[in-house]
Amino acid sequence: MKILVAVKRVVDYNVKVRPKSDGTDVDIANAKMSINPFCEIAVEEAVRLKEKGVATEVVAVSLGTKQSQEQIRTAMALGADRGILVETDTELQPLGVAKCLNAIIAKESPDLVIMGKQSIDGDNNQTGQMLGALSNMPQGTFASEVAVEDGTVNVTREIDGGLQTVKLNLPAIVTTDLRLNEPRYASLPNIMKAKKKPLDTTTPDELGVDVAPRVQTLKVEPPAERSAGIKVADVAELVEKLKNEAKVI
Amino acid sequence: MPSTPNSEFITAPSDQRRQQVAEQLRAFIDADKVRIDEESLQGHGCDWTKLYKVNPLAIVFPKSVEQVQQLVRFACDEKIALVPSGGRTGLSGGAVASQGEIVVSFDYMNQMSDFNAVDRTVVCQPGVITQQLQDFAEEQGLYYPVDFASAGSSQIAGNIATNAGGIKVIKYGMTRDWVAGMKVVTGTGELIDLNKNLLKNNTGYDLRHLFAGSEGTLGLIVEATMRLTQPPKDLSVLVLGVSEMSAIMEILRAFQNRMPLTAFEFFSESGCKLTTAHGLQRPFESETPFYVLIEYENQSEQDAETAMEVFEYCMEQGWVLDGVISQSESQAENLWALRENLGECCAPFTPYKNDISVTTSQVPGFLEDIDAVVSQAYPDFTLVWWGHIGDGNLHLNILKPEDMAKEEFFEKCQAVNKQVFEIVENYQGSISAEHGVGLVKRDYIQYTRSDADVALMQGIKAVFDPDNIMNPGKIFNS
Repeated sequence: MKILVAVKRVVDYNVKVRPKSDGTDVDIANAKMSINPFCEIAVEEAVRLKEKGVATEVVAVSLGTKQSQEQIRTAMALGADRGILVETDTELQPLGVAKCLNAIIAKESPDLVIMGKQSIDGDNNQTGQMLGALSNMPQGTFASEVAVEDGTVNVTREIDGGLQTVKLNLPAIVTTDLRLNEPRYASLPNIMKAKKKPLDTTTPDELGVDVAPRVQTLKVEPPAERSAGIKVADVAELVEKLKNEAKVI
Repeated sequence: MPSTPNSEFITAPSDQRRQQVAEQLRAFIDADKVRIDEESLQGHGCDWTKLYKVNPLAIVFPKSVEQVQQLVRFACDEKIALVPSGGRTGLSGGAVASQGEIVVSFDYMNQMSDFNAVDRTVVCQPGVITQQLQDFAEEQGLYYPVDFASAGSSQIAGNIATNAGGIKVIKYGMTRDWVAGMKVVTGTGELIDLNKNLLKNNTGYDLRHLFAGSEGTLGLIVEATMRLTQPPKDLSVLVLGVSEMSAIMEILRAFQNRMPLTAFEFFSESGCKLTTAHGLQRPFESETPFYVLIEYENQSEQDAETAMEVFEYCMEQGWVLDGVISQSESQAENLWALRENLGECCAPFTPYKNDISVTTSQVPGFLEDIDAVVSQAYPDFTLVWWGHIGDGNLHLNILKPEDMAKEEFFEKCQAVNKQVFEIVENYQGSISAEHGVGLVKRDYIQYTRSDADVALMQGIKAVFDPDNIMNPGKIFNS
């Protein structure tokens, strides 16, 4: 069984991003970049399936600038067998990404596609679902448990009020939620080995995909600053303020 | 129980005495900033050591330098000793009031001011919390590099008075290296301005450095101008599994020859078991006797290449068995937690703790000697080692066996103390690398400092504090 796993290069979770002064975008020049945490979970799940003997090959694919190679190398250090970079300097949006992934699926014919439910930069939560529609494959989103058996995959999903398990026929698309697993650290010996693993590069053009942005960002601005709190003298004043100023009781 | 200092205050001050002194103090200190209720007395009368009877006369929270001066003059007149109190995270009993002293807490003098972007300094009141300073520096695009597990509670003046070290010493040095200048109130109530924030100032003795590490015995630090620096960029963290202690020094040398490090820490497998039992992920599956944590600035692809090359070399030499590297800042934090959470993970076992140092090259032999002595004498004790090994600084922790009474355990540990300190003396090391002497190590100071040395220190104290009211009985008898 072949698994395709998508990884995205994003601003590190711990970096506090600020809008550019002209409000056109966020300023990420010189910011620390890392693999999107949900993608990391996707890689871990794929590697675990391979370690269990369920999968035979794990292919990591990323889209973006040349630097995205770093995230593919990370995925390979975690256990992916080979990598594909769809290289482009264009700003990528979910639809463009889904179309490229769909083109890769056509070439690679994976039995399972595992990807993050969203990336922490755009927070779109669209790519997996769009890919489901484009590829005509069933989708199990927000997975907290994935079990493959006899040509199907059971995906336990985190939904409002509880868990729902769906059974999908393979090939299928799974998007990962936070509780699916705890990704391992990249071991140094495996990072060394990953350098020798094959990494192919292609482009949206070669895949025949038009990735030009369809959505335009009008403005980026920081959230309004919270005003400082105040100290109240006693309970009576607190109640009075909650009632008349905050109007919550 | 360790012995408490000789003192005329054998019994606790009476309530009446407390009331009377509180009344006098309230003449010049806000009424609600003089506290004699039991909770305040017990809470503010000690540090993290829970070994001593806590017995203060009163707790005072001054709000200005003038109030501090008035307090010192009052203490001189009344012959009452003062114990300065910061974030109370000390581990040596330096801030313990066990003989009826007035505790001077700086909780309400916690403001920062006069940031100077050119000098890269900021003026701190004594009660500024370390993390407050770190956060302030970050907002200015700068960095305050002295960092340790208790940075969220410890206060700047306390850091200076104990010359706190921590996890970045290998690159940035100790607290004393970051003090541009300070104002202190001596034992006579005089306010003096030390060094005036100058970078170059060769005008005789640098008294600033006497106060760094003075543990409150010379006077009270009422203001400190702290230096800030350029923040490090893209810190990467490696955790390596090591087969034996002697290999650790080879690893240190191999890395330092090729790249500057910002941290080089170590911990033992017994420590790794504790933190992973509290939910942290093991760095890698295999268990190794020791682990080193290395941090460096990953400024370019070349740096990552170099780190990898050194790692490969260490593997080939057989020094390193396995290793991981952080791929994100969250992973870097989690790997650091393996080392930084050790103190808290040990706490439930009421551990015996020791903080000792030798020159860095001597660490392996030193550690093996101590390990051998302690495990031979007490085979049922669990030893947990960690430390800033790049600085030659080891933290030895012995966990109390579950079925042993606390008293018996500490009695045995007192015997361990002597054996450990004899080894320290043989290696010409220090019985207190970064925690200070306080009460805990006072009676062992001769293992590191000569009689002549101690006599000179006593002489210096007498100059700054002729009435012996400044934290008497700490570091040495006075």
